[in-house]
Amino acid sequence: MITFNINDTEVQAEPGWTVLETARQYEIEIPTLCYHEAVSSSGACRLCMVELKDGSWSKLVASCIYPVAEGINVYTETERVKNVRRWVFEMLLAQCPASGEIKQLAAKHGVESTRFSIKDPDEECMVCGLCTRACEEIVGLSAISMVDRGVHKKIGAPFSRPTEVCVACGCCVTICPTGAMRSRIDAVRGIPKITLTPLAV
Amino acid sequence: MNDKPKIGVFICKCGQKIDPFIDLSAMKVTVSKTDDVTCCEVLPYPCLEPGMTEIIKSIKEKEVNRLVVAGCESRLMLKKFEKRLESEGLKKGQIDVVNLRGHVAAVSDLSPKEKAEKGARLVNASIAEMRALHPSIQQNVHIEHPPMILGGGVASFTAAQELARKGIECYLSIPETDPDIILQQLYQKYLGERSNYPRLKKIIEDVLKNDRVTILPETEIVSLSGITGDYSAALTVPGELNRKRYQVGTIIACLDGELTAPGPEFGYDGKTVLCQTDLENIIYNAVIPSGQTVFWINDYETGQEEYARLSTRSAWTMSRHILENSKKSQVIILYNQKMSLPLTASERSLSRKLGIIWVPYDKAVQPVIQLGFVSFGGVNDHLEHEIPWDRIVLSPIRKIGGNSMQTAKILGIIHEESEFLGVHHAKVRPEMVGREESYLAGSARYSCDLNEALNQGKQAGKKNAEMYQKSAENTLFAPRVVCIVDTTKCVGCGQCQEICDCGGIGIAEGLGGGIPRVVDPMVCTGGGTCAAACPYQALTLQNNTNDQREARVGELAKQLKNNEFVAFACSWAGLPAADNAGNRGLNYNPDIHIIGIPCVGQIDPSVMARAFVDGAPGLLLVGCDPENCHHSFGVDHAWSRVNILKKLFTLCGFDRRRITMAHADLNHPEDFVKTVESFSKMLKALGPIEKTPDNQKKLESIYKLVKTNSRVRLLLSSGLRRPWEATYRGDQRYALEYDRSDFMDALKEELLKVRLEGIFREESRPFDLDEIISKVVDDQNRIINQLSELVAEGAIERTYKQGKPFYLSAN
Ligand code: SF4
Ligand code: SF4
Ligand code: SF4
Ligand code: SF4
Ligand code: FES
Repeated sequence: MITFNINDTEVQAEPGWTVLETARQYEIEIPTLCYHEAVSSSGACRLCMVELKDGSWSKLVASCIYPVAEGINVYTETERVKNVRRWVFEMLLAQCPASGEIKQLAAKHGVESTRFSIKDPDEECMVCGLCTRACEEIVGLSAISMVDRGVHKKIGAPFSRPTEVCVACGCCVTICPTGAMRSRIDAVRGIPKITLTPLAV
Repeated sequence: MNDKPKIGVFICKCGQKIDPFIDLSAMKVTVSKTDDVTCCEVLPYPCLEPGMTEIIKSIKEKEVNRLVVAGCESRLMLKKFEKRLESEGLKKGQIDVVNLRGHVAAVSDLSPKEKAEKGARLVNASIAEMRALHPSIQQNVHIEHPPMILGGGVASFTAAQELARKGIECYLSIPETDPDIILQQLYQKYLGERSNYPRLKKIIEDVLKNDRVTILPETEIVSLSGITGDYSAALTVPGELNRKRYQVGTIIACLDGELTAPGPEFGYDGKTVLCQTDLENIIYNAVIPSGQTVFWINDYETGQEEYARLSTRSAWTMSRHILENSKKSQVIILYNQKMSLPLTASERSLSRKLGIIWVPYDKAVQPVIQLGFVSFGGVNDHLEHEIPWDRIVLSPIRKIGGNSMQTAKILGIIHEESEFLGVHHAKVRPEMVGREESYLAGSARYSCDLNEALNQGKQAGKKNAEMYQKSAENTLFAPRVVCIVDTTKCVGCGQCQEICDCGGIGIAEGLGGGIPRVVDPMVCTGGGTCAAACPYQALTLQNNTNDQREARVGELAKQLKNNEFVAFACSWAGLPAADNAGNRGLNYNPDIHIIGIPCVGQIDPSVMARAFVDGAPGLLLVGCDPENCHHSFGVDHAWSRVNILKKLFTLCGFDRRRITMAHADLNHPEDFVKTVESFSKMLKALGPIEKTPDNQKKLESIYKLVKTNSRVRLLLSSGLRRPWEATYRGDQRYALEYDRSDFMDALKEELLKVRLEGIFREESRPFDLDEIISKVVDDQNRIINQLSELVAEGAIERTYKQGKPFYLSAN
């Protein structure tokens, strides 16, 4: 049993739990986006940052991947944490300005505009990778991937044509936090069920 | 494993997403009272490690052996619970996830109390299903016998080579063993491949002298039975009438397609107007055609435009061969402007160097071959041009071919009538199917070049080798949800085999008389329409049985009030559409109570009837669009089953709209909402079915009829073919005609019989005719006929009192 503090309240956890899991067990809310209960965490979006303090020293960590440790002091609503969140939301508003879901969530946290420049006003995808994780970990396939690594990576099938691999289960659509997968799924799933494709992959 | 069910129920608060909307403490109180519930907890997040820790505690301390989680989408979450809890003894099938958030909390304006009631109803239904579960162990498949490669296709050799390379011994059945003759005959199958012949010859020789390969020369398969790991294949014996049987573990079918010359409408005469196959044969015999050769890539005109590129490739390699070997010959290739040339940059420059002339023609004007000239429309000027020729070479017509077709039939891998053998690719999660239906390689699948065919053979060999390896390591498992046949009940009527599209059902060698069917657990995808079709209920879908579904729908129906109804939603369309509606917070009529199922095709008519017997006023089945059903024809079969209930409803005086099919798309939850609204509205206008004893008896008769009456079930299952399909691969009756004729009369007869039996079962006193007529309200003559039949069967007795007949139960 590990004992530590969240917002000055003592909490207990088992080794292997994350800070986020423990906070949720104690019903302390931490916003998340690239995190989903059904798949492994990636720590990509940084929305779930919390502050760890030890005397005058402090650091920000992503609670969805940070493992619990004896005696740590976690704060979920400090100025620094709120700043990061605001920053993350502004980044997201610039990255995927077309996503209604992101706009809503950002507005809920008081962020309605962004300082960053918008590259593509029609972009909905925040490149969180939840869809690919769902496809791999839940369905057991790799029907979609991040084409082009890096900031330009887009979710699609290779060559953006329907893949034979996709079984059209829609897990990616259900898990997508921005709604971006809705407009992408048709390109991925295709229709044919009796198809003429090479055995070789 | 079959101990008494101890059910653990864990209700999720899901942050703020379920808790404030549903009164979870009230829900907990209700659910805790349900039988067999050993523990019921409300947790912040059962799916996270802290929650899992609680669940594991309940398994350890309270011996919980079935788990119901009321949380969010089972499509996403179930896998996590299964993975995490497998080592704790909870297996697939013993865990169920009810979507409280997406099907209850987020989608209506009901009060938290009312939502708690709805949630409890759904959870209780899930509990009922868990109670009816008899978990079965996951089948470990062993392959003891060697693989057999057959069909005679050229891919045989790479398949055998690959297997041998992996250390696996195999049988190779081939019609011809002389490499030179094989190559010489290859022009009938693959074109323009001369440069690959030396390589192929080496492969063939290599295989022929490989110790791991047992060659069965000049043999052909005549029959196959059994399942993955244990097939019995009968092969011809050269020069004898006898057949020889081989025990084999797996089959690799290497089938080549056939190339034939186009008809005289293209001017083909086999002398100067040739087919590419003829030219290939000429070249093989080392004759280089002189003069002007004109290739016409006429695949667009023969209706096989998808192969134009393939024909162009072979025309290109042949032209190259001609010009590299004869300075005096000229080659012109005439092609439809719709096609882009399949040549690489270096091939283009080589083509220029050799002086091959490529001429595109106007797609609107089909070229015409006349004596010595071929005319065609110019692409730019739309003038008719003419090219002189000494020889015209046409593209071949490509199709499966008789021999390959014959073999495919024996192997049972023909899915639909088409030019090629489509490979069945079930769109289901990989864990749901043990292996690809068949390892099929070669140009009979779809026309391809030699390299591709050889590569397919290699891949098939590789995949096979992987299976053998897993088998040796004891890690080859069949999926958990597959069908099994109760051979004591199966009469071998063959209905299941006819409608199973996965090719999973085969014949077990019988003791004479009926030949029981067997399901290949490595091929079955668990769609289960076969189980719903079996007239004798000999088939069961393990861990997802009819009894389970009846229990679930019955329990749910019992708890419904007013116009509340049940909906079965398949996990590929209806369920995700509902999940996504919940995710997006769309609002719809809360009367709907959703049960997720893998495919609507597995809903036995008895399950549908059971909903009504237990009090549901309506039943909705939401599946895929017919063309998108993930279990091929499940949704069509469901349609026929719904239809029989509609007919019976009409016969009994209920409104037939109470049971209705719907189709959904996971990406259009807003359409799903419309479906729900429309059905709820219609049902509301109808109101509940009046709970009179007479109505109840009618519903029970319907239930009994569709569940146990083999004649009706047989009639139903032999008419499952889709009405708009003129041809069908089996012997299924043509649905519409069938529907109009025999079916309805039989239904009336059998329904009447069941209802009459009901009267005599209930009371053992004698009834006179008038009373019977007043009870069943049907045509008098029909009633008299049926009564006589029942008397003849010995089910009832007839006595006379003052000359008037009375009927009473025989026991
Ligand atoms: S719909 Fe296709 S891409 Fe999306 S999770 Fe399912 S299989 Fe993967
Ligand atoms: S499509 Fe959705 S789930 Fe996938 S990376 Fe983009 S935002 Fe994430
Ligand atoms: S439908 Fe039933 S009785 Fe008929 S062959 Fe199949 S399992 Fe046997
Ligand atoms: S019909 Fe479906 S359940 Fe039955 S054997 Fe075929 S795939 Fe399996
Ligand atoms: S939720 Fe933790 S980094 Fe995105």
